[in-house]
Amino acid sequence: MTSSSTTPKGAPAARRLSAFLYRHERLRLAGLLTPPVLWLVVLYLGSLGVMLVSSLWSVNDFTGALVKKTSFANYHTLFSQSVYRTVALRTVGIAIAVTVIDLVLALPLAFFISKIVRSRRWRYALLIMVTMPLWASYLVKGYAWRIMFDKGGVIDWMAAPIGLHGPGLGLTATVVALAYLWLPYMVLPVYAGLERLPESLLEASADLGASSVRTLRSVVLPLLIPSVVAGSIFTFSLTLGDYIMVKIVGGTTQMFANIVYDNVGVAGNLPFAAAAAVFPIVVVVAYLAAVRRTGALENL
Amino acid sequence: MLLGVAAAIALAFIYVPLIVVLVNSFNVSKVFSWPPRGFTLTWWDKAIVNTGVRSAVFTSVKAGLGATAIAMLLGSMFSVAVVRYRWFGRDSLSLIVILPIALPGIVTGIALNSAFRTVLVPLGISFGLFTVVLGHATFCIVVVFNNVAARLRRTGRTLQEASMDLGATTWQTFRFVTFPAVRSALVAGALLSFALSFDEIVVTSFTAGPSIQTLPQWIFNNLFRPNQAPIVNAVAAALVVLFIVPVYLAQRLSDGSTGGRI
Repeated sequence: MTSSSTTPKGAPAARRLSAFLYRHERLRLAGLLTPPVLWLVVLYLGSLGVMLVSSLWSVNDFTGALVKKTSFANYHTLFSQSVYRTVALRTVGIAIAVTVIDLVLALPLAFFISKIVRSRRWRYALLIMVTMPLWASYLVKGYAWRIMFDKGGVIDWMAAPIGLHGPGLGLTATVVALAYLWLPYMVLPVYAGLERLPESLLEASADLGASSVRTLRSVVLPLLIPSVVAGSIFTFSLTLGDYIMVKIVGGTTQMFANIVYDNVGVAGNLPFAAAAAVFPIVVVVAYLAAVRRTGALENL
Repeated sequence: MLLGVAAAIALAFIYVPLIVVLVNSFNVSKVFSWPPRGFTLTWWDKAIVNTGVRSAVFTSVKAGLGATAIAMLLGSMFSVAVVRYRWFGRDSLSLIVILPIALPGIVTGIALNSAFRTVLVPLGISFGLFTVVLGHATFCIVVVFNNVAARLRRTGRTLQEASMDLGATTWQTFRFVTFPAVRSALVAGALLSFALSFDEIVVTSFTAGPSIQTLPQWIFNNLFRPNQAPIVNAVAAALVVLFIVPVYLAQRLSDGSTGGRI
């Protein structure tokens, strides 16, 4: 096709413009790409960069004004003072507990939906039932668990006949509420992974004489590892960044993100908050890098 | 069957708390007590007339609409660019677009907060609805992007090229061929993005400033006030019911593809 103009003279401007754009692919691409890229790179990445740079600054103790002298003092404080270490370890521990609980709940559920339920309509309905609460308001779920765990609440009411009472608001409540929040994020990748499992492998394993338990152990679970890890990425990173749920059901418990939040608001020490915020970022990025080998990232 | 029981327990775990919120919104006693001694509609009544609730709902709706509009525009532009063209940096930028939703909200929150403080405030733009919309749009883009990109990948470009061969202009092709094909994915993305923006609390609390209040902020601020507790409960129960419809619609529109939140 020659590049000579075949648009008839006198054609309306719109047609000439569209013909022009059709031939100049790069221009079309540039037009499509500029606004989103500007938004993402300049606004978002730019602000992330500003935040990281400000973590190297500090705040004047008396006036509260920003002191733009570069130093690693903030990071030094984070590493040396034991309270931050404690909270960091506690947060990681909570994240691990939440991931485990979600795994224990999600695996049978995903298995049931994927392998046991035969009718397509029921499978679809069950999946919707699992994902719908994802969109119920976060705060509503927090409030729900506050009602459940509060003194005189639902859990106390259920435990009363046996003579026990619930643990009340605190660490247990935080772990349960967070596990509750992220459960759908674990069910969905595991379900997708199960769906991708070829039936032929299961049949071959049975043909070779394996019992169902052995099949589960040697065939299914190893193949599910990428999906499980994909789910755990969600539960882990979401827990690390969460500071609201612990305020609602945690009583006096503190998680790492609370440190970030408190320093932005009351203490007005943005550089320190920024430095603290680097911790969850680093952990999540490190986790992502570590699990890349398991192929989980393609399962997101 | 054991698996069925385990699955039922998991499902019960998911739905019982929501049902508790619903039931408790009718609880007669003002101070929290369970099980409810009686049922009443007064709290729903009080919630509807409460001015704080109404202005918060209005603010949230405005923010949601603004953020969704921006996200629809930028998200669909970006998805066309990613799916239909090959260019340098395509893969890395596709990863970057996910970051606002993948990184903890608090990170996005303080990043945007410090950026607005250093750039916008000196220009005279103070924190308010505009900054909230900017923040929300940033993480709503990826929701629209995912939906539209998935649909574009499925429809392929042959129809577009055929239309051009038959003499349609770019605009006509878009109007009669491309747009109808992606329309339902766009609507699904818009619904999800609105829901996401409406419920968002973390980034909002960093970008809203003192002058406005979205509904989640209202809930959070009133959560610990004993007098307001029953009203908060009624609002929460209303949200449980209200979210189900748009999300169900969005799922149906996106052909039941079982992706995750993003």
